Amino acid sequence: MNLALEIVDLQAGYEPGLLIVRGASLQIQKGEIFAILGPNGAGKSSLVKAVAGLVPIASGRNILDGRDITKTPAHQMVFNGLAFVPQTENVFVNLSVAENLELAASVMKANRRERVDPVYAMFPDLHRQRGLPAGQLSGGQRQMLAVARALIARPSLLILDEPSAGLSPKLVDQVFSKLREVRDSGVTVLLVEQNVKAALALADRAAVLVEGKERIVATSAALLADERIAALYLGRHTGRQPRKEPS
Amino acid sequence: MMPDFMGWLSYGSFFLVFASAYAIVVLGLNLQWGFTGLFNVGVAGFVAIGAYTSALLTTPETAGRLGGLGWPVAAGMLAAMGVAGLVGLFVGALALRLRQDYLAITTFGIAVTIQLVANNAKGLTGGPFGVQFIPKPMQAWLGTGLPWTIAYLLMTLALLAVVYIALEKLVKSPWGRVLRAIREDEDAAASLGKRCFKVRLQSFVIGSMVMGLGGAVYAHFVGYIAPEDFLPILTFQLWAMLIVGGSGNNRGAIAGAFLVWGFWTAAGGLLRGLVSQADQARAAPLQVVLIGVLIALMLVMRPRGLMGEAVAVSKVNKV
Amino acid sequence: MLQIIADGLIIGSVISLGAIGLSMTLSIVRFSNFSHGELLGWGAYLALTAATGLTSMNAGLAAPIGPFSFGWGLLAAGVVACGLTALLALALDTLLFKRLRKQGAITLVIASFGAALALRNLLLFWQGGVPQYYSQNLQIAIPLLPRSVWGGLRVTPDQLFVLTLTLVTVTGLHLFLRHSTLGRSMRATAINPGLARVTGIDPERVLRATWLIGGVLAAVAGVFAGITVQLRPTMGVELLLPLFAAVILGGIGSIWGAVLGGLIVGLAESASVSVVGAEYRAAAAFVVLIAILMVRPNGLFGEKR
Repeated sequence: MNLALEIVDLQAGYEPGLLIVRGASLQIQKGEIFAILGPNGAGKSSLVKAVAGLVPIASGRNILDGRDITKTPAHQMVFNGLAFVPQTENVFVNLSVAENLELAASVMKANRRERVDPVYAMFPDLHRQRGLPAGQLSGGQRQMLAVARALIARPSLLILDEPSAGLSPKLVDQVFSKLREVRDSGVTVLLVEQNVKAALALADRAAVLVEGKERIVATSAALLADERIAALYLGRHTGRQPRKEPS
Repeated sequence: MMPDFMGWLSYGSFFLVFASAYAIVVLGLNLQWGFTGLFNVGVAGFVAIGAYTSALLTTPETAGRLGGLGWPVAAGMLAAMGVAGLVGLFVGALALRLRQDYLAITTFGIAVTIQLVANNAKGLTGGPFGVQFIPKPMQAWLGTGLPWTIAYLLMTLALLAVVYIALEKLVKSPWGRVLRAIREDEDAAASLGKRCFKVRLQSFVIGSMVMGLGGAVYAHFVGYIAPEDFLPILTFQLWAMLIVGGSGNNRGAIAGAFLVWGFWTAAGGLLRGLVSQADQARAAPLQVVLIGVLIALMLVMRPRGLMGEAVAVSKVNKV
Repeated sequence: MLQIIADGLIIGSVISLGAIGLSMTLSIVRFSNFSHGELLGWGAYLALTAATGLTSMNAGLAAPIGPFSFGWGLLAAGVVACGLTALLALALDTLLFKRLRKQGAITLVIASFGAALALRNLLLFWQGGVPQYYSQNLQIAIPLLPRSVWGGLRVTPDQLFVLTLTLVTVTGLHLFLRHSTLGRSMRATAINPGLARVTGIDPERVLRATWLIGGVLAAVAGVFAGITVQLRPTMGVELLLPLFAAVILGGIGSIWGAVLGGLIVGLAESASVSVVGAEYRAAAAFVVLIAILMVRPNGLFGEKR
C-alpha cells in the first residue's frame, strides 16, 4: 500500500441533519506533505477532525495504511498510528512541558525515556524549557510542544489543524521547517491551512476544499501557478467548475 | 348520594387549590429555567419566604414572636412577592455572573439556610411550631365550610390566570425577545455583556416574586405553616411538575403541576391502601422514591416533557 | 480556642474526603452532583450492616482495638462498604447520568437531585429514622493540654484515628494522581477533555475511575462521620452544602484545595457553635460559600480551564 490515508466519499457533521463534509475523497501518499486549503467554512477542519474521530461520520470511509478506521474512537487513533494536533488548546496548560510529553508516553504504555528523549533531541528548545508550565510558553513554542506531543506516539500519519494560526511569519517558518524535519524522519504529514502561500511552499501536494468537497487536487507547483486558486481564495466560489485558462 | 358528592367536591376543591398554588410557583420556575435557563435548586426556600412573609404580616399579634401586624391579606401577598423578589435579587446579583452550577449551589444554600432560620429563630418565625391562625380572606362573609373553599379556589384560579397572562405577555414582549435571543445563543449573549446580565437578573427576580406569591396563596389557604412544609422534597415536586409538563411552555407548566400533584396524591393513597397501619410511617419515604424514579424515567425517555419545546436549554458537554 | 480548632479539624476531615470526590466529579464529569452526599450516608450504613453481619459470625470482631471504640469488624466492614459504595456510584452513572450526558449539565444536576431524594428515602425506608452508632463503647477524651493553655485540648483516640487516616488517604490519593498513568489521565481529562482524547486517553475509563474513587472516598468519609458523631439517614443531605462550599472554596479540580476547603468549612462550623449556638452550624457553610463567591469565585487553587 502506498497510501498513508485514503478518504472515500466522506460525509460528516456535528449534527445529523447538518453535514459540513459532503462527500470528500482524498488520497494521501506515504511520506508526502499534503495540505488542505479552501475558504472559511469549507469544512477543512471538520474533515480532518472526522478522520481523527472527533466529528461524527454520517457515511463514507477512512482507511489508514490499509486499515479501516472509520469507526475507530478518537482515543484509539494514536494506537493506530494517527496523531492529531488541534488548532487551539493543543497543550495541557497546567502541566509542564515534560509532564505533557511524559503523559503522552505513559498513555502509549511506552517507556518514557525511549519515547521522550528522541523528541527532546528534535526539539532542543523544549528540552531547555521542560520544567516550565506549558501555559507560560510563547505561541511558537506552544505549537512546537503540540507537535512534539503528537510525535511521542510515533505516528505514521501526523494531522495538524491550521498549525500557523496566530503565529508571526518568522514563527510559521520555524514550525513549518520542523514539519519538514518530521516528514524527513518518515512521517506522512497532512495539514489544514488558511495560509495558502506558506502551505504551498511546504507541501508536496494540496487539495482545495469548497463546501465540503474537494474541487482541485494537484501538486503545489501546479497550484501556485494557477489563477483558479486566486479566484476561489478570493471567495468567488460558486461550486461551478472554473473556466479553463487560455494557454 | 348528596353527602358523597359534597365530600368529593370538598376533596376535589382542596386538591385543586393546592395544584393551582403549585402551578403559580411552577410558572415562576418556568420563567427562570424554561425561558432564561437559570437553575434554581432552592425553590422551596422562595416559596417559604413568600408564605412566612405574608403569614407574619397578616396574623394578629402573638406573644414571643415578631410580626403580627394584622395587615389585610392582599397586602400580605404583595409583601410576600416583594420580599421574595429581594432575596432573588441578592442571590441573582451574587451568582448569575458565575457558572451555572454556582447558581444551583447558591440557591440550594439559600433554601437550607431559610429552613434553618425558620426552624430555629423562634422569635421570628415561631420555630418548629411555625405560624398559626393565618387569616383566611373572605372568611368573615363565607364562614369556614365548603363555600369558602370553593371561593378560595376561584380566587386562586383567578390569580393563576392573571399570572399566566402576565407572564405570557412578558415573554412575547420586546423584553422577552431579548431573553430568547440570550437563551438561544449564549456566546452572542456574552458579548452583550451587561445587558445580558441585567435581563437575566430581572427574569430571576420576577420568577422569585411569583414563587413568593404561590407560597402566600398556600399559607392563607391552610392557615398554618411550619418549616417542614418547605423541605427539599417540595423543590423536587415543583421541578418534577415542570419537567413532566415541559419547560419553556407555560401551559405545560400548569398542566405538569396538576398532573404531578395528582400522581403524588394517588401514589400516597395507593401506598396507604397497600401497607398496613403499623408500616405507614416506614412506607412514606417510598412515595418519594416513586417520584424520584418517575423524574429519572421522564428525563431519560422524554426530556422535553409532555408539552415542552423540542430543543432544551443546555450546554452540550463533550467529555 | 484550641478545642474549637481541633473539633473543626475532625469535622473538616469528613468534609474534605467527601469534597475531593465531589470536586473530581465536577471537574471530570462536569456537573454538580447533588447526590454525592448520599454516597456518604450509604457508605456509613453499608459499613454498619457489614459490621453487624461480621460480628454475628464472630463476636470477637466487635472487641475494640486498643483505645478505639471499634473493632476489626468495623475496619473490615469499612473496606466492604468502600467497594459497595464505589459500585453504587458507578451504577448511578451507568443507569442514569450516562444516558443524560448529551442533554447537558443542568439536566444532570436535576437528575442528581432526584437521585439524592430517592437514595435518601430508600435509606430512610431501610434503616428508619432513629440515629445509630457503630459501637456503644464510650470514648474517654485524652487531655493533651490543660485548660489553662488556650482553653485546653482534649481529643478522643477515635478522633486521632480519623485525622491520621484522612491524612494518609489524601496523601495516597495525591501520589496516585501525580504518578500513575490513570491519575495523570484523569488530571488531563479535567484540564482539556478533547486534547486528552487525541492523546490517547480513554474518556470512559477516566469517568469510571472518577466515580469509583469518589465512591470509595465518600464511604470512608461516611464511616468517619459515623465513628465521630452518629449515623442518620439525613447525614448525606446535611453534609451536602458543606461539601459544595469546600469544593468551591478550594477551587474545582484541586485535590488539596478540596482538603483545605473542607478543613476551613469544618473550622467555620466549629467556631460558629461557640458564637451562635449549635442549631445554626449548617449556616456556617453557607456563609463561607457566599464569602468565597463574592471574593474569589475561582476558589483558592482553581485550575484554569
